[in-house]
Amino acid sequence: MAEETKELILSVKDLEVKFKVRDKVLTAIRHISMDFEKGKVVAIVGESGSGKSVFTKTFTGMLEVNGTISSGEIWFEGKDLAKIKNDKEWEQIRGKKIATVFQDPMTSLNPVRTIGDQISEIIIKHQGKSKAEAKQLAIEMMGKVGIKDPELRYDEYPFMYSGGMRQRIVIAIALACRPEILICDEPTTALDVTIQAQIIRLIKSLSEEYGFTTIYITHDLGVVANVADVVAVMYAGQIIEYGNVDEIFYDARHPYTWGLLSSLPQLGEKGEDLFAIRGTPPSLFEEIKGDAFAPRSAYAMKIDYEQEPPFFRVTDTHYAKTWLLDPRAPKVDPPAAVKNLHERMLALTAKGGIYGER
Amino acid sequence: MRKYILTRILKSILSLFAVVSIIIVMIYTMIPRTKIFDNDAGIKKMKGDTRTIYVYRKYAELGYLEYLRKQDMCLEVFGDGEDYTACLVNESAQQHEAIDFYINKGYALETLKSGDPLVYHDYNWLELLGKFYGRLFRFDSKNAIQDEGNPDLERKYYWGKNPDNGTPAFMCSGCEYKYQLYFNGKFPFIHQHFLTFDFGESYPTSVGIPTTQVINEGQGAIKNSDQTFPTGLEQESALIQTSCKYKVTPDHLDEKKFDDHYADCLSAHESPSMVSTSYIMGIIALIISYGFGIPFGISMAQHKDKFRDKLGIAYINILVAVPSLAFIFFMRSIGTLLGMPDKFPQLGFDDIRSWIMPIVILALLNMPSLMMWLRRYMIDQVNADYVKFARAKGLSEKEIFRKHILRNAIIPIVNGIPSSIILCISGALITESAFAVPGMGKMLPNAISQMNNNMVLTLTMIFTALSIFAVLLGDLLMILVDPRISLTSKGGE
Amino acid sequence: MSETNVNDELFTFQPADDTASEHIASPQYSYWRSVFRKFFSSKLAIFMLIVAGTIVVISIIQPMISGYSPMNTPNINNSSMKYIRPNSTYWFGTDDKGNSLFDAVWAGTRTSLFISVIATIITNVIGVVVGMWWGFSKKVDAVMIEVYNVLANIPVTLVCMILVYAIGPGTASLIFALCVTSWIGTAYFIRVQVMIIRDREYNLASRCLGTSTWKIIRNNILPYLISVIMTSISRDVPAFISYEVFLSYLGVGLSRETASLGQMIRDYSPYLTSTPYLFWIPVAVSAIISISLYIVGQTLADASDPRTHMV
Repeated sequence: MAEETKELILSVKDLEVKFKVRDKVLTAIRHISMDFEKGKVVAIVGESGSGKSVFTKTFTGMLEVNGTISSGEIWFEGKDLAKIKNDKEWEQIRGKKIATVFQDPMTSLNPVRTIGDQISEIIIKHQGKSKAEAKQLAIEMMGKVGIKDPELRYDEYPFMYSGGMRQRIVIAIALACRPEILICDEPTTALDVTIQAQIIRLIKSLSEEYGFTTIYITHDLGVVANVADVVAVMYAGQIIEYGNVDEIFYDARHPYTWGLLSSLPQLGEKGEDLFAIRGTPPSLFEEIKGDAFAPRSAYAMKIDYEQEPPFFRVTDTHYAKTWLLDPRAPKVDPPAAVKNLHERMLALTAKGGIYGER
Repeated sequence: MRKYILTRILKSILSLFAVVSIIIVMIYTMIPRTKIFDNDAGIKKMKGDTRTIYVYRKYAELGYLEYLRKQDMCLEVFGDGEDYTACLVNESAQQHEAIDFYINKGYALETLKSGDPLVYHDYNWLELLGKFYGRLFRFDSKNAIQDEGNPDLERKYYWGKNPDNGTPAFMCSGCEYKYQLYFNGKFPFIHQHFLTFDFGESYPTSVGIPTTQVINEGQGAIKNSDQTFPTGLEQESALIQTSCKYKVTPDHLDEKKFDDHYADCLSAHESPSMVSTSYIMGIIALIISYGFGIPFGISMAQHKDKFRDKLGIAYINILVAVPSLAFIFFMRSIGTLLGMPDKFPQLGFDDIRSWIMPIVILALLNMPSLMMWLRRYMIDQVNADYVKFARAKGLSEKEIFRKHILRNAIIPIVNGIPSSIILCISGALITESAFAVPGMGKMLPNAISQMNNNMVLTLTMIFTALSIFAVLLGDLLMILVDPRISLTSKGGE
Repeated sequence: MSETNVNDELFTFQPADDTASEHIASPQYSYWRSVFRKFFSSKLAIFMLIVAGTIVVISIIQPMISGYSPMNTPNINNSSMKYIRPNSTYWFGTDDKGNSLFDAVWAGTRTSLFISVIATIITNVIGVVVGMWWGFSKKVDAVMIEVYNVLANIPVTLVCMILVYAIGPGTASLIFALCVTSWIGTAYFIRVQVMIIRDREYNLASRCLGTSTWKIIRNNILPYLISVIMTSISRDVPAFISYEVFLSYLGVGLSRETASLGQMIRDYSPYLTSTPYLFWIPVAVSAIISISLYIVGQTLADASDPRTHMV
């Protein structure tokens, strides 16, 4: 979908992921194709269960045991990651080329090993450094992520660190081997609001310094507005809209994206009810006919129950998967709540909100 | 932290005494006391008053009651005088007075066949406990020996040398034991006699020997070695000089060797004591079971649901489910097929084949729980976030298991290590019985079937103390292993 | 990019169906059906269930027919009746007193089973009730944990032996000794499990909504405990059989009048070389009962854990 001239770091083609649950099969990812450009910050948004975590887990071969990639390709550095079966090959990618930062820093670190040990072990492993060199690099990295007196804190245990500091360490570990891609799986959800902004800023500045591609998984559109270059909206195991951050916030085309944007609590006016998308996502145990969002959509047409919509091109960088963009469809205006969204968001954050400068 | 350790120690001591007290009271009040004679061959030959008096003497010795015969009674009530002589005549007024005196104090009267009266008083549970604990601790001091025949006994502490190895020894004259503190190559290397324990004498087996000595003394033939005695005499002798106690009347043989009264010594034996036997066996088995059990447990967790895991689980299940007795006999007959003796004494201590099967069996019996728990702890950790993160870091499964999961899973295992080591002393009940190993494990059932109450109590006290101490040590060890505990004040719980 | 064969009429709005969007369609789930499905999916468990069932039935019925008692030895002076090797008349042969070993083994099995089942029931009933109370009430916990610290330190075997020694041998005192020494272990095990789930969010929520403690225990905690209790039972039954066998073997369990596998093993161990069947048959029977009951119990415990119903 993206222009071929841009330098691609990761390219997903027609990916399908299935899980076996109690003898039934759940299709968590339904034929996603997506390209990731080098150096960009990509945000994948969607509600819980939309498959955003599962999608990125396939990049590092970390699906749960009952999940498999049933079809599709994931191209990275000339290799199809979907074909990798043994752990040996994955070890060369995980941590070294594609690193992941998880949601909860409180549990991401091994409680009975020192902080320093946990950073330097990966440097020793992936870069073949000696223990002393690794320690030097680890201390350097600790300083980079904003730990004061890293030499002294090198031999401390995780329980001696606060949540925010632990997430800094997690980031230090993830970036210790200068990966090409950093996947941040809701990296700030478990943190205090004040710490969230610090961590996001840290990741942002490090990505500018090292030039890695960042993939954010989040349901916090506030975060997205501030850090993302590109946004992909996921629903029921598919990407339903894709575009630059401005295009998504200014000119969203999919009714689900509208719903998502309208329900931002930050936009709620005093005295008015918050907007909520009605209903629940469809069951992924059953085959979905037509547009998965149709039963919840106020703009559903007959065809939405019959046929799955294709991606319609809005601009060269902006695509949406909805029949509303078909020339034959009636003209529809987006709801008022999502108009001029971007300005309002920025205005909000300017008042000293949590998002920081863009 | 210090407060935690102190309260833990205090609680441990408290629970030890609670348990031992309950067991003392149970044994003395619930078992018909006539049963203690069931295994006494001597009593069957006695008749009449001899037998009655023997019975009372034994009861008194074993701490059931106190009794007074005519002479003691009269002496106690009237002192040495005319009334005393009158009191000795049966049915005399004085004697009645003496008897009444004791009956009023709660004593019961038994008239012997000869017409002589005998009064006795059964101890109640409080007195039982008082007697037991009152006797239990024996603190040695330089004024311990009061020997009228030896008024010039010097009273002093001084430094000397251990005659066996020349190391310094803290010695005493006037104490019960000559060597108060000394060192040698035997576990626990530092030995003391400041405080000794007196659990009474063994009965009806090993009559007259303190129970602690029965447990601790070597077995088998006397073992001689070249020794130099304090008099300068050089002689082949089995005596262990460091064990010498004060002897009131040393004979001429003693006088040749010793220049003082400390001539009551234990002898060295060819074979290890019951404790050592159990301990040697237990420790070797333990090393084997940890040496194999831990790698097996890790390997099972690492290959969960694969062949080797299933094999391991089958092994664990069989050993958990099959009565250990059946397993031991099964293994023993396999051993017999391989030419191993089916009883330990067949070839004795010196033949390594005597030891192989009991040790192998003990190790095999130890391993399942170790493997099962290690596997369980590790599998519990597998889904922890830090493991996912370690995987995302690109560590191999092997590295994740050895470096990350094991470090966490081993903590509760470490907690159990002191218990395993210390409890080796208490021996292996069934294995030792099946192989007739002369060790600690067989002693308790033997003591019970012989109604050897003092021995039962001694063993109860030792086993309970050891296990309580072991749990305590395990908890304290956790402080060293688990970095999270050292700074919190709560400790191991 | 757009499809050409689509009818234009399809491009008209159709109001969304509210009920359809609220429909949740995860696979149907019934707890007990899943338990049975899981249990009967294991061929080994089915086989062991049949073995255990057969043994239990025989050991109940056979002694009633034979009326065996170790004290009753009509053939003791008839040397032609002694040490007969297993044959078609005497399936397990005869022993040193001329009694049929077949009768003796089943009478012994009945004793062992009886003791272990009764002791398991008592231990687990007391253990579960006390454990739930213990786990739920912080006040009780403060007291009980001290009691536990005292009792848990004591070597169980030792106390068991001393209790039987003190009360005198017999079935009742053996059961008593087994229960006295093991209830607190079960209670502690349950306490830990209760504590784990007591503070789970759904129980906190339930309490906030005013549900009574008893209702929370009954509806939220007890069902969760089913598999935990099953695990405890499946461990206890063979453990108690093993205990009976070895205490009787050591001569500190049952009285001589009671037939028991442990006593048989002890009595016949001298015959290991001359007439090995006398020794090995009781050993084998004790092993088979324990292992079959254990496997059945473990599989049932696994099957009753809802977490295993996922896959």
